[in-house]
Amino acid sequence: MPDGSLNSRGIEALVEPGRVHRRVYTDPEIFELEMERLFGRAWLFVGHATQVPKPGDFITTDLGRQPVLMTRHHDGSVRVVLNRCTHRGVKLVAERQGNRPRLVCLYHGWTFDPDGTLLRVPVDEGCAPGFRLCDFNLAKAPRIGVYRGFVFASLSPTGIAFDDWIAPMRENIDDIVDRAPGGEIALDAGMHRYIFRGNWKMQTENLVDSYHVPFSHASTVNRKGVQFSRREGDDEGAKVVDGQRTASQWKQRRSYAVGYGHGWTSNTELNESGRSSAVYDEYRHALISSVGAERAEKILTPRMHNSLLYPNASFMGLNMHIRVIKPLAVDLTEVNIYPVRLIGAPEAMNARNTRLLNVTHAAASFVQSDDLEAFGRAQTGLRSRQTEWVDISRGLGREEPVDAPESIATAAGTPPTVMRAMATDELVVRGQFRAWLDYMRVA
Amino acid sequence: MSAAIDRSAIEAFVFAEARLLDERRFREWMALYTEDGAYWVPAAADQTTPFGQASLFYDDLELMRTRIDRLEHPLIHVQTPPSRTVHVVGNIEVEAVSAGPTPELPASDMLVHSSFVMVEYRLDQQRMFAGRQRHWLRDVEGALRIVRKRVDLVNSEAAFEAIAVPF
Repeated sequence: MPDGSLNSRGIEALVEPGRVHRRVYTDPEIFELEMERLFGRAWLFVGHATQVPKPGDFITTDLGRQPVLMTRHHDGSVRVVLNRCTHRGVKLVAERQGNRPRLVCLYHGWTFDPDGTLLRVPVDEGCAPGFRLCDFNLAKAPRIGVYRGFVFASLSPTGIAFDDWIAPMRENIDDIVDRAPGGEIALDAGMHRYIFRGNWKMQTENLVDSYHVPFSHASTVNRKGVQFSRREGDDEGAKVVDGQRTASQWKQRRSYAVGYGHGWTSNTELNESGRSSAVYDEYRHALISSVGAERAEKILTPRMHNSLLYPNASFMGLNMHIRVIKPLAVDLTEVNIYPVRLIGAPEAMNARNTRLLNVTHAAASFVQSDDLEAFGRAQTGLRSRQTEWVDISRGLGREEPVDAPESIATAAGTPPTVMRAMATDELVVRGQFRAWLDYMRVA
Repeated sequence: MSAAIDRSAIEAFVFAEARLLDERRFREWMALYTEDGAYWVPAAADQTTPFGQASLFYDDLELMRTRIDRLEHPLIHVQTPPSRTVHVVGNIEVEAVSAGPTPELPASDMLVHSSFVMVEYRLDQQRMFAGRQRHWLRDVEGALRIVRKRVDLVNSEAAFEAIAVPF
């Protein structure tokens, strides 16, 4: 039993191969450590370049609890700077998004370029002797990494190299972006936001949990055992239940863990050749014109369902979206969901995806709302001290190594081992806690 | 506007609609909509279209039916126990519809503006929603039917805890 202290041994005692101590979800001190050691170090998703198309464009977001700006500088480059005036600490920009060629602090008028350079301060004759503008530029995220327009940042100058961290998940990002006939997507279709009274890890675990679906989402499953017709040109969809039991097709799904806490679940095999509608056929034609029939067929056979880029982002291919997890407190979490627009696909196809996402992932959706109920009730249940441990042992010892995809093998550094299990197993949850320990045990 | 449908009838219609929601008579609520009707709650202020942009709700009749099937399902966890709600609707103004039908908004006879507050209670938590709503109504053989109900919450862009019942 953990003795309660949070030195590295105390932290290691919270995570065992098949169970974790309830404190990892409930202890405010551990949450503070997570903000420092995990969210203060890890690569975090910030935004997509299409959210700031023109010079002066910005979005505001938070990395851990630190307010940041993603901007488009005058030279066309994308920057990530801390949203905090270097004078008295005021948050520079309050809006979610907009365009400002100069960022002017509301308090004393200090004026910055979108790359964070301090340009001028009012009443400069009053500045202290030796005051230099260049000493007061906005703090920058020490490291930035970009893959296919997706911008990630680390708030630590050292740590895992971006290329190593992203390598095992590049194919998962490609799996979505390649579906655009021109190979480019945009995050410009609005945003869903929800909040729940639970620990952030409940969301990262749930993303790769195929075990809960037939039970948590029983109220959305139709008579045929299918949740919804989820895709343009496909009225069938994946069978979730067979009568009262989990459908055998659902049980065939797999999950994968690839180190760094990353992982994904595979799709149920769907009838791709039978997929057709006027809109879908138009889209398929556009994709074939762009990449050829063979490549198009491969792209149109989705292999991944939900992919987690640990710790703060997931990419879902089925109803295409990017999800960002924002921990607010040990028992409070915000989530933002951006619909993915495939540039060059028929407008009706993108509209269909957006409508589906309303139904599955809005705060008022049919699916996500029941997950939120589960997260809130888990947080309440974990107040119980009579049962100290949370079980994550499904499939422990049954996972098997598989050949690493080429994209991993060609990355710098040692390629991590890819492990596979049933999607109803808790392999990917265990993988998250291994990564959690790697971040958390180091002071 | 039909002479038979006067302002007091329109007010009574809007109040009755709110009561059907508060009494969880969802099937009867859905029956107020025309076959081409839709219920829309944008996820952003001044959102111009439900197509290609995220919305909290955009239910045509088929989706509305699915939503209500779920609200009646014994395993809807987010409504176990169910919410209790009360609507207060006011500031009703009626205007004749001058613009013609569009692909996004079918033909209607009148547009009714109102404001509302909905208080919801569930599991020891009480929360409040408020907003402006617009009903585009059609006179179907002397009975009012909803062609479009658009609800603009004052905090439409907010991060919400789970929402299960329509406003």
